[in-house]
Amino acid sequence: MAKAKRVKGEWKRLTVQAAAFLLMNPKLHHFFLGTIEQGKTKSICVPGLNCYSCPAAIGACPIGSLQASLSAGYKKPAFPFYVLGFLLLFGLTLGRWICGWLCPFGWVQDLVYRIPFFKKIRTFPYERFLRWLKYAVLGVLVIGLPLLSAFSGVLVPWFCKLVCPAGTLFGGIPLVLANPSLRGQLGFLFWWKVGVLLALLLLSLLISRPFCRYLCPLGAIYGMFNRIALVHLRFEGDKCVDCGRCETVCPMGIDPRKQFNSAECIRCGRCARSCPVDALHMRFGLRMKDDSHKKSTI
Amino acid sequence: MKRSVRICIFTVLALAGTAFLLYGVFSGQFASVLTKAAHICLECIGIG
Repeated sequence: MAKAKRVKGEWKRLTVQAAAFLLMNPKLHHFFLGTIEQGKTKSICVPGLNCYSCPAAIGACPIGSLQASLSAGYKKPAFPFYVLGFLLLFGLTLGRWICGWLCPFGWVQDLVYRIPFFKKIRTFPYERFLRWLKYAVLGVLVIGLPLLSAFSGVLVPWFCKLVCPAGTLFGGIPLVLANPSLRGQLGFLFWWKVGVLLALLLLSLLISRPFCRYLCPLGAIYGMFNRIALVHLRFEGDKCVDCGRCETVCPMGIDPRKQFNSAECIRCGRCARSCPVDALHMRFGLRMKDDSHKKSTI
Repeated sequence: MKRSVRICIFTVLALAGTAFLLYGVFSGQFASVLTKAAHICLECIGIG
């Protein structure tokens, strides 16, 4: 059985991920009632992909909110100032550090990947092309189709409806289990979404973070900020001894020596913690030096 | 990317983000988010 590569201090990140889940979903009693929290804090977007139909959620999912805001004006699309404001500020401060440390579905994938499996792989064939899928998901399912729906006056969050595995795992399945009236309405769509979720969880046994790599529209948005976000990775090429350990432990299958500014990097810090010569560092703040040494290739 | 360019882009986007957020609050856009988030989203859970 192949095991995931272990890195020192990984328990700290798993603890922060669990704490972030509880901070975003503290009203746990709703899981037993089959209802959802309805407080006013749900007008505030949380940074990670945390479904607002998760019974315990006290905030709004930015991707669900973006789709809802795009089709908020009756029979005319609205510009989603409010949600874009959140996305810009989250992206500029934390970038994809959110994916690595705060996202509940990222946490689930990390836990599943730690289960020993007969084989673990770093990348799929045609990896570079597969990674572009998330931008297609963002353009078509999160922006394009909800905009078209807006013209018909019907709000349809297409990404949530057809793909979002976080909604199925944290919202759909718990609600259906606890709420008999919802159980009576199950149809093809529910089982389709359960199938998508199961496929992604099974893939997570084989490869690290398949949803984040190939499908997540929120990761696609935050990735655009990685070059300028306050949380960043610093690579000191003159210290590097090219042992390749950072590349081996990277959960996103990239080479941090060449791609430290990549939109794919989730700033989990595994590379920095595994570097024997401290050539990689996680930093917070405006970057005071120009990108130097080995340039980013993505 | 040069440091000056990076700081310039960062500042412009930070100001835009703050302005968007404030405009969203004062124009009532947060209400549409609350309306959607405070009710069970049937599409999100795979029923609608």
